[in-house]
Amino acid sequence: MTQWFVLYCREWLELVRSYKLIWVPIVFILLGASQPITTYFLPEILASAGNLPEGTTFEFPVPTAVEVLAQTLGQFGTLGVLVVALSSMGAISGERVSGTASMILVKPVSYGAFVTSKWAAMLTLSTISFAMGYGAAWYYTMALFEAVGWREVGGSLLLFALWLGFVGTLTILFSSLLRSAAAAAFSALAVSVLLSLSASMLPNAFAWSPGNLSKLAASFVMNHTAEGLWLVVLVTFCAMAAALTASAAVLRKRPSLDAA
Amino acid sequence: MNHLLKVEGLAKSFAGSKAVDGIHFTIGEGRCMALLGPNGAGKTTTIRMITGLLEPTSGSISFRYQEPGMDRRKLIGYLPQIPAFYGWMSGKEFLVYAGRLCGMSARAAEASSKELLERVGIADAGKRRIGGYSGGMKQRLGLAQALIHKPKLLVLDEPVSALDPIGRREVMALLSELKRETTVLFSTHVLHDAEELCDDVLIMREGRIAIHGAIDEIRASNRQPVLLLETEGDERSQGWVEEWMRHQPAFVQTAEVTGSGLRLVVNDVGAARRMLLAQLAEADVRVTKLEFGHTSLEDLFIKAVAR
Ligand SMILES: Nc1ncnc2c1ncn2[C@@H]1O[C@H](COP(=O)(O)OP(=O)(O)OP(=O)(O)O)[C@@H](O)[C@H]1O
Ligand SMILES: [Mg+2]
Repeated sequence: MTQWFVLYCREWLELVRSYKLIWVPIVFILLGASQPITTYFLPEILASAGNLPEGTTFEFPVPTAVEVLAQTLGQFGTLGVLVVALSSMGAISGERVSGTASMILVKPVSYGAFVTSKWAAMLTLSTISFAMGYGAAWYYTMALFEAVGWREVGGSLLLFALWLGFVGTLTILFSSLLRSAAAAAFSALAVSVLLSLSASMLPNAFAWSPGNLSKLAASFVMNHTAEGLWLVVLVTFCAMAAALTASAAVLRKRPSLDAA
Repeated sequence: MNHLLKVEGLAKSFAGSKAVDGIHFTIGEGRCMALLGPNGAGKTTTIRMITGLLEPTSGSISFRYQEPGMDRRKLIGYLPQIPAFYGWMSGKEFLVYAGRLCGMSARAAEASSKELLERVGIADAGKRRIGGYSGGMKQRLGLAQALIHKPKLLVLDEPVSALDPIGRREVMALLSELKRETTVLFSTHVLHDAEELCDDVLIMREGRIAIHGAIDEIRASNRQPVLLLETEGDERSQGWVEEWMRHQPAFVQTAEVTGSGLRLVVNDVGAARRMLLAQLAEADVRVTKLEFGHTSLEDLFIKAVAR
């Protein structure tokens, strides 16, 4: 346990020194804040575009506050997922290719702890960043539209953070399977897109799929509940555990790729 | 002799080609063993299998202190051929990190790191980021991190090849100190280093063991008289050397022309001396140097790995 904590602290130190702890939250905050703000000012932005005949009036259906938050989640579902995958794509392959993995793994370090410390750091980073971004969205939604209860926000936050964590876990799994960091990010993104698509196209057949998480988060913020939530959460947890076990096993089999 | 490490039938194939081909050897506790061999002989592969970084295709590796189920990595300190670090950490931070991963308390790791930085001679750079270290400094830091948990077996892959001559001397001196404290296995290309430092040698060639044993015994049993002749290199002397090569006497085992002279491995040094001295005087060869000595480990090495 001490050893795990030592590994985790190193991950934190790296997040700080590589400025990931700064730029990832900033990206999320910008994403989160921009959605309610642009939605609010959209009619004026269009009106001031100027090349419209005099006297034209717009009829915009003003979205409700919860709709704005659900749209924000949509933004996070594309760009946020991308940022999470990019920020953890070299987690394991980077260390194996550079040779630091073999410096560390010749020491009596548990392979599982090595992987889970990276996973925990990824999860902390993505959750903190997303919470800040979603918090910003909530704040501007409250300021520009109307109040949204903390229960809806909290519930959808947890569900969506789980989705981001799941994508990050996939990235870590692929970064232990593949040599190239870019390939790991690409594979994780491709799998997450496939999961989301299959879940929205065949909702019944894939009712259990983690691909439902973002949809569930949106439906939670709009309707206070989401149907079939617990099954999906359970399946996601099991999938993450399986991915981490697989990563650790791959690492045990081949701790390093250097000098190949 | 008590062995610390026993390697039996160790083999590793990469995509069909055998990098290490069924080797057996033991390392005695407290001994220092040099692993020699030309490029591609399988030294690094052997070392990586011992450290557990590479899974052997077949064979076994056992430690004396290894109880069933125990992690043998606890017993090993390893310096790879090219050590890698986190460039954003300072040297000191890395050492503390390595120590803590080996189960040391924060305080013990701190104290030990400080001492080791002194010992390997980079105390001044301890607070600087490793990203700014030179190759030699990284090598020293690599040595320090291998020592942090006082391993039973110190495994070093070419520890001095990245160092300048002064650094080499310093690290060699450090190693000769260390070999009194622990068992050392190190690979090198420099025979001189092996001769200076080691009790045992293991010479590999194409994945197999060519020679293995205590260095003194190997030297004694393979010792042969060597005769070295150098001349001024004038025409007459050169002519004499060429003529001599054509009519070699029976005591000569191998003979080669070296620049302006000869190098002979002989089996009867007395006969060789009498005959050569007489011939040189008679032909009035301009001798600059005539030396009677013995084959070095280098001769043995070249004999073992040649072909
Ligand atoms: N990961 C690998 N994949 C394929 N072949 C490999 C791999 N590692 C080593 N080899 C091969 O195994 C053989 C032994 O390599 P090894 O690195 O053990 O040699 P070495 O004795 O350490 O050489 P050097 O003195 O150059 O360090 C070489 O022919 C090498 O090409
Ligand atoms: Mg090598």
